[in-house]
Amino acid sequence: MDALLVTQSINVVYGIATLAILALGLAVIFGLLGVLNLAHGELIMLGAYCAWVTQAHGWPFLAAVPLALAVCGALGALVEWALIRPLYRRPFDTLVATWGLSLLLRKSVEALFGLGYKSVSMPLQGTVRVLDSPYPAYRVALIVLSVAVLAALILWYGRSGTGTRIKAMVGNPELAQALGIPVKRLAAGTFVVGCCLAGLGGVMVAPLVPVQPYMGLDYILQSFFVLVVGGLGSVLGLLSGAAVIGGANGIVSALFNATYGYFTVLVLAILFLWLRPRGIYARS
Amino acid sequence: MSASLLEFEGLVGGYGSAPVLRGVAGAVAPGEVLCVIGRNGVGKSTLMKLLFGYLRCWHGSILLRGRRIEALEPPQRWHLGMTYSPQERPVFDDLSLRDNLTLTRGRRDLAPFAPYFERFPILAQRLAQHAGTLSGGEKKILSFVRALAEDQPLVLLDEPTEGVQWENILHMEALIERRKAAGAAFIVVEQNLAFAERVADRYLVMDQGRAVLAGPRAEIGREQLLEHLHV
Amino acid sequence: MRLATPPLQLAGLAAVLLLLPLGLGDYWSYQLALYYLYAVAALGIGLCWGRAGFLPLGQAMFFGLSGYLSGLALIAFEGSVWLIVLLPLAALASGALAYAIGTLVFRQRGESGPYFSMITLALSLLAYQIANSWDSVTGGFNGLKGIPGLPGLDSFGAAYYVAAAALLLALALTTWVLRAPLGILWAALAQNERRLVLFGFNSNQLKAVAFGLSGLLAGIGGALYAPQQGLVTPQLCGFLLSADLVIWAAVGGRGRMLGPVLGAVVVGALSSTLRVRFQFWEVLVAALFIAVVLLFPQGIVGVFAPLERRFASRRRRADLGAPRRGGAQDAARLVIDGVSAQVGEVKILDRLSLAFERPGIFCIIGPNGAGKTSTFNLLTGELAAAAGRVELDRDAVTGIAPHRIVRLGVGRKFQIPTVFTDLSIADNLCIALWSGRASRADLLRPRLRRWSSPMLAELRQRYGFLADATRKAAELSHGERQILELAMALLTEPRLLLLDEPCAGLSPEETQQVIEVIRWASRRLGATVIVIEHDISLVKELAEEVYVLHNGALLAQGTVADIQSNPAVQAIYVGAQK
Repeated sequence: MDALLVTQSINVVYGIATLAILALGLAVIFGLLGVLNLAHGELIMLGAYCAWVTQAHGWPFLAAVPLALAVCGALGALVEWALIRPLYRRPFDTLVATWGLSLLLRKSVEALFGLGYKSVSMPLQGTVRVLDSPYPAYRVALIVLSVAVLAALILWYGRSGTGTRIKAMVGNPELAQALGIPVKRLAAGTFVVGCCLAGLGGVMVAPLVPVQPYMGLDYILQSFFVLVVGGLGSVLGLLSGAAVIGGANGIVSALFNATYGYFTVLVLAILFLWLRPRGIYARS
Repeated sequence: MSASLLEFEGLVGGYGSAPVLRGVAGAVAPGEVLCVIGRNGVGKSTLMKLLFGYLRCWHGSILLRGRRIEALEPPQRWHLGMTYSPQERPVFDDLSLRDNLTLTRGRRDLAPFAPYFERFPILAQRLAQHAGTLSGGEKKILSFVRALAEDQPLVLLDEPTEGVQWENILHMEALIERRKAAGAAFIVVEQNLAFAERVADRYLVMDQGRAVLAGPRAEIGREQLLEHLHV
Repeated sequence: MRLATPPLQLAGLAAVLLLLPLGLGDYWSYQLALYYLYAVAALGIGLCWGRAGFLPLGQAMFFGLSGYLSGLALIAFEGSVWLIVLLPLAALASGALAYAIGTLVFRQRGESGPYFSMITLALSLLAYQIANSWDSVTGGFNGLKGIPGLPGLDSFGAAYYVAAAALLLALALTTWVLRAPLGILWAALAQNERRLVLFGFNSNQLKAVAFGLSGLLAGIGGALYAPQQGLVTPQLCGFLLSADLVIWAAVGGRGRMLGPVLGAVVVGALSSTLRVRFQFWEVLVAALFIAVVLLFPQGIVGVFAPLERRFASRRRRADLGAPRRGGAQDAARLVIDGVSAQVGEVKILDRLSLAFERPGIFCIIGPNGAGKTSTFNLLTGELAAAAGRVELDRDAVTGIAPHRIVRLGVGRKFQIPTVFTDLSIADNLCIALWSGRASRADLLRPRLRRWSSPMLAELRQRYGFLADATRKAAELSHGERQILELAMALLTEPRLLLLDEPCAGLSPEETQQVIEVIRWASRRLGATVIVIEHDISLVKELAEEVYVLHNGALLAQGTVADIQSNPAVQAIYVGAQK
């Protein structure tokens, strides 16, 4: 098979997988709880900084994962209790509050670590052969890990008791409460999981991008557009959104430049907002 | 009269600024069915929501086995032995029938449902389907079965027969009798007088947010009920 | 909530601004002048967020755009008289662009809160990227350099006065707009968009106008920034300035126009020095922002609120007569022909056919879920018909936007009293009066707030509390709110009046009063009045004819006696054995 074609194809898969795993945390929080967490990008940023801190201390790369989960999980729990829960019926105020939080996180990291770009070295060097073509090993690992995480989440959500209870809570919160389901605790747990997923995504992309306090902005926008286009509440929606946004951005950026790619994404988002406001695969 | 399982007194509550209930009192004992009757808009569903805790009482008290529960959240009331089948959106549309039935049990074993499946075979046939595919009346039956099968001592049903065919309504009546014999208490809101007359032990007739007539079935005839339904 | 700056305060502020340089000296005045320009941009955010209820997160893009346009004009046309036209155009360009974006984004009703904010954020980042990479025009990363000052106004002192004048002008402009009907409509929009639409106002266009005005304000700031600072960089378009503008508007207080000014000048100027000295200053500001949003939404300016109330003018000025409502005056002829509608899987209306050929009072009754309120939603254009048609005076109205249908003379009262709780009673009634009578230009005239009509005078006589102009609607009891909303529906002098359980939650005395008002209004307006009601005794008092709905279709129609003796109707209420 033509080597270039294989590489390009894997690039596409890689782009979609990366977008999907980065948007996953927001998909959980926005899709299930209806909360647009504007600090989502900053949680990814924190995950990336955890990877850098791990490296700076000489610990193995994988140690960044529990660190990021702990940091983002604790932060998520605190934020859910202090900001989200009091504002559940006021979605606009939630938007503003999480935007303020994103500001706070950005500025805190800037004050602690400075504005300079940090770089995290690749934990997996070299290439592997995919269908006889060489491809960077870390990227392959990322694809595999993203697929694994998504698959695990789908299986767990579909089969487990907690997953069923969350589905019940999301679809009919009144009845769920009436049947003894601890809705408040479940919602808090869901929020924390969404934050942890963001942190995990941050660790995964840390070796691939410059780590700096403002990196989260691009991610919240991309994640939001992925969900707008793909639709809230389903993994299929997440993947199709990632495919459309990632694909469009990739193609246009390759043909022209990054600015045009950005512009294309914006145009697509506005078009979907007009024509199909619930996205490609809206939850019924 | 045996000791009440649930007693409520002077309940005042509503939505936003609007008072819907203006002071309602009632009680139900174990093994008894209390039917709440009234035309649309008098506050029957609001009463249920207050009893279950979705709405805060502005005034009044609710006692379950002598213990005040007005301040408790709905999940806590469920754990104390109440269960509820709402009028609107009575099931989880996104979940399968099996999940709807077993969600609160912690085990997915369907053996306890045998007596219910006998009378409503359609449920047994469609266990794997999403509840959203059922018709309105079928959803009501599903919700009814789930509520009774939980074996909770107090069952609140809001218009359980809406959209349900007469043969199945008769099955519902039989199943309620069965649970009554086991000591469960029911509060049933109903528009269908024919059904109410068959299951009720006591009536609570509401109008304009108040109880205007209450008493055992023996003492209240159909004409009196019709008078208050204004039709 | 008094959100505008009365002329007295403006004059006082003007005096302060003019005298300040005497104390500060030329250099510090010049530093301050920069923050005056930022304050003008922050005013726009106060307007959108504090009044109209949506949050632009990328406002700097307009500031930067006008900055670049102005800078390019100043360089290309140095000293020329063309600048008198070009500089304002640079500001207007931002206003026009903002209006265009607003029109593009605000299309679906009520959906655009988070989407709008995200799109403005994305646009700001895009603007930054363009400014950064379009080297030939914008000078790229290093920006547009060597921009000459305004001809004749080149000194530090002059720069200060130009900026102060711009700030005062911007404040005067926003004060005027906020006191005009447009400002009241924005406040109503933020509280209950759906209700405002059902008074015939195009809410999406109103939001676009608000955003356009905010873009213009940012543009004024940017256009003056270029000659003042001599340099325009991509940072001026980008995210950081956008974020700062929002913070200043919030912390200063977005409820009053002076708030963003205070925020920009105090917090902004403080930040410029403290940011360097104190490492965690910006973290503190961010925390302060969150605290303000959660706990003190009034901001710094809120501290002065009690003082303002002391000095508020209570003088009532004379009423002005409102013009007559345009359009047809006779009763509406309404025909619903075989309409089916569904929401998701559920069939709400099933080949419904109803006709109202003459004026009078009619009642629709039926059990829960029969489709009564859905029929009203169909008539006001909020429920789409999958099949069939709705005709008003032989014109099909299916598929027409709600605000347009309402303008044909349809009035509606909701079951739960839906008034604008944060507005005064007088403003609520004015909104009803403006409906269908105020032209677009009229919306900019503050004197429209004194409109009255003969119907309003009669309603005020019946219900004294309606004359208490300054009382806020939130302070009214449930019964009074029902009556206020009914009055508002009547003031639009509709030809088709839809009343959804108008007596819900009223005491028996209040109910009698409302029934009398409905009868009186029906005669006075010569309108077709359709009432959804459950209480048969009320139906008996009001209805000339009764329509019974069941499962989304018409089951029976006739007089009350006919209905009561109809066995099919009995069955649905009492239950049948088969």
